Parts: sequence; C-alpha cells; structure tokens
Amino acid sequence: MRLLLTHSLLSSWLWAIRDNPYEDMTTDRDSFQDFLKALSREPTETTPAMQDGIDFEQLVTDIMFELADPSHKWFEAAQQVYQIVRKGSLLQYSTSKVVTVAGKELLLYGRLDALRAGTIYDIKFSRSYERGKYYSSTQHPMYFELVPEAQRFVYVVSNGSEVWTEAYDREDTPSIIPVIEDFLRWLERHGLLETYEAKWQAK
Amino acid sequence: MAIRQPEEILGQKKRIRMLIAGYPGIGKTTLALSAPRPLHIDCDFGLDRVEARYRVPFIQPQSYDELLADLVPENLRDFETLVFDTGGQLLTLMSLWAMKKDPKYGQRDGTLSLKGYGFVGKEFMRLMDYCFYELKKHIVMVFHAVEEKDGDNTRLRIKVEGQTKNNVWEPMDLGGFMEIHGNDRVIGFSNCERYFAKGTRGIKGTLKIPELGPDKPNDFLTRLFEQYNHQTEEEVRMAEAQKAAYETVMKKGQAIIKKIKDAETANKALEEMRQIEHVLTSRQELRHAFNVKVNSLNLVFDRETKQYTAPQEG
Repeated sequence: MRLLLTHSLLSSWLWAIRDNPYEDMTTDRDSFQDFLKALSREPTETTPAMQDGIDFEQLVTDIMFELADPSHKWFEAAQQVYQIVRKGSLLQYSTSKVVTVAGKELLLYGRLDALRAGTIYDIKFSRSYERGKYYSSTQHPMYFELVPEAQRFVYVVSNGSEVWTEAYDREDTPSIIPVIEDFLRWLERHGLLETYEAKWQAK
Repeated sequence: MAIRQPEEILGQKKRIRMLIAGYPGIGKTTLALSAPRPLHIDCDFGLDRVEARYRVPFIQPQSYDELLADLVPENLRDFETLVFDTGGQLLTLMSLWAMKKDPKYGQRDGTLSLKGYGFVGKEFMRLMDYCFYELKKHIVMVFHAVEEKDGDNTRLRIKVEGQTKNNVWEPMDLGGFMEIHGNDRVIGFSNCERYFAKGTRGIKGTLKIPELGPDKPNDFLTRLFEQYNHQTEEEVRMAEAQKAAYETVMKKGQAIIKKIKDAETANKALEEMRQIEHVLTSRQELRHAFNVKVNSLNLVFDRETKQYTAPQEG
C-alpha cells in the first residue's frame, strides 16, 4: 500500500503539535481539530486569509494571460510578482516521488507555482509577513526532495501592495525525511496511523 | 542604458550592501567602520561611543533633506563606503521628511500612516539604489536588534517599525546579527532558529570578530568584502558555465519537441530526448513541454510497447 503525503498535511500536523506541546490530545484548539480534519480528508472551511491567497494567485495567472483588470487593488503587486515568477517557464507543475520512510512506501506530491533553471518559485499572500516567516516551513524541504535537481527555492510574498522575496538554498536546507519519520511515528503513538492509511491511499 | 552580460562582472570589484544588527553597545558601529574607506553617517549622534582611534570622517544630518544635500558625488570622492548609523534613525528622519512633504503620510499622533510606511519604504529603496548604482559606494546599514517571543523561541529582529523592516533587507547582499558567544564577539550570516540573516557567496555561518588593539587594524569588513568579491568571481564563472549548458540543453530539447507532428515523430523524439544529458531542472521542464505537445496531438502512450500511437478514430 502506497500512501500519499503532501507538504500541506505535514504543515498542518506541525502547526497542531506546536500549539499543543503536551500532546495530550485533550485540547480543542482549532489547529489540532484542523489537522484531524485534514488527516480524515474532510473539507475545511476556506478562511478569509486562504481566500486572499487564492485570489492573489488567480490575479497573477490572469496577468500572465492578459486577462487581469488593471484597476484591481492588488494589480501592481501582482504584476511585480509576475515579473519575478515569469522567469519560471514551467508553471503550475505537479510532481511526485516515491520514498520509503519508517517502512512505509509514500508518494510525496507537490504542485510548484513555477520552475526554471534550478529554481522553484512559490507565490504567497500574507498580510502580516515578516522576513524569515518560512524558515520552519516544510514546503521548501519537501519540494527539494521532489525536485532533486533544484538548487534554490524562492518564496515570492506580497501583502497586496508590496512584494518581498525569501530564498532558501538546497545546501542550507535540512532533509524532509526525518520530519516525515517523526510524523509517521507520532501518528502511530497516537493511534492515528490507521486513519492515515485508510484516507491517504495513493491511486 | 547599455545591456550588460553577467560575465562582465568578472574582474570588477562589486560594491556590497550589508546590514549589521545587534544589541546596543556590542560594537556594531566600530565593526561597520572597518569597511573600506568609510564615511560615517551618524544619524544617531553616537560618534562619542566609538573609541577615538577607530573614528573616521563623519556627518551628522539633522534632517533627511540635509543628508540628501550631503550625498552628492563631489563630497564623496574620498570614500568607498557609506555607513548609515543607525538605519532605524535614518528611517525616522525619512518619516519626518515624508510627513512634512505630505500630511497624508502621517497620523495625528505623529506616527506614519499606512500610506506613509509605503512611501518611506519606497524612498529607502530609492536611496539605496542611488548610493549603490549612481554613487557606486559600498553600503553598510547598522540596526539595533530587539528580542521577540515566538512561541518557545526568542528571536532577534532588527528594530524598525512596521513593514519597512522587510523592505530594508531586500537590497542587501549580506546581513549579519552580532552576538556575544563566551568571550568572543561573533557575527552570524546563516539563518537559524534565533534569527533570519542573509549570507551569500560563501559568506555563511558564524564568524568571529577579531579583538582590536594598538597594532591591529580595524579592517574586518574590508577583508570580508574582498573575500565576497573573490567568491563572486568564482561563483559567476561556475554559474555561467552551468547556465550556458542549461540553455544549450533546453534549446536542443525544444528543437526536438518542435519536430513532433504525429506518433512516428513523437517516438523518434522520445528516443532523442532520452539521449539528452540534463542540466539543473531541464529534465522536468522538457518532459513537461514534451507531454504538452503529445497531448495537444491526442497521441496515446502504450505502456506495453512504450511507444506513442495515433488517436483512435471515433
């Protein structure tokens, strides 16, 4: 049995356990509930922040196909993002890789916003961006695993008016594999491995 | 404007933009003044805190207009580096200037409005570009650091209000946090749980700042900049070779894909594609382009024969 694993699921798990340091599972904190929902593949409500991200990415795509409305409040910022990301000749590229971790065969899966000449670009919308925000993210380590030839990962971040870049090099990025191993062991310890195996079977 | 090629950087000394952050009193200014032939732009009026033997020519602007008037080529012929000390105070001068220029950039309590922050952020970038590209100087920007709680961790951040703190990092080539480790003063250029710095061209990790003394020149940054430039040349040579190889492979692959018209040419192209020796991410990029092309022709891949076939009629 091969199991699907995405950076979003790992990220949701890390967010949940960081907010629940005692791991007693008695808390009703949203982040933990959100993780349980994600693990069960139940649909989660789109928050306004998530919607902003979706809308902003759509605007960048619209600019790419000359469909965007120049009077849009985020147009200038989205155009700046496009100027950076357009270097990525390969857009919205889905990729996967099979790895075996802790005796489980996993299909790692990711969707790259752009890829060109060894650099992966990812567009983010954040109203409260602070430099270093993505340092602990599982996204760039996961994507480096997915695209072994990529040497650099650049988050292109906007708040709708300004644009910043945050870059990570492969040589400075730790492997995602130990994190995946921790994730699987944690699921096992907390009796959630069965849920994962039932809900995340790769096709 | 003449368009220039990346290899033109070889043989030239690149000017460097650097940010230094640390607690007050740790020696940021003295370190900043170890850059090549510095002009000390003492926005903080803190010159007296620097040991007399390490002081260099300085200006103490009382307003941003005054600073702009000083920063003209004829005043700066003898200097290679502009040391802004501190960047936080420079932004304060800039904010006052902005609010004087247009009241909409300020609020009633004397702080910047959201528009004001945006304007000051842009002016900061403009000033950096002017100093770097037009005046052709190294830039060293000194910032105080503050501790911020982030969950169980304590992180060091530069002391700047609002979103400007992200903008000031954007143009920098290097950014280091100064700390005391044991009896040593160090500067860290690699990202870690404690801070998010900026290291490039082999300048990374934590470097020990040498003790100064009567027979020891204050030249740490001068030597660091030389190292940076040396690394830049090496890196550009290697990167150029890799980039050229990548472009060649991409062109070759695109030419193969262009020839696909039907199942027969697709199979021939598939064979040719397999012979390509890939560079960087050319494998993924060309494979994607190949798939887009065969899909556009509705060709079907037979997994048993490992060949493309023409679409079935009807």
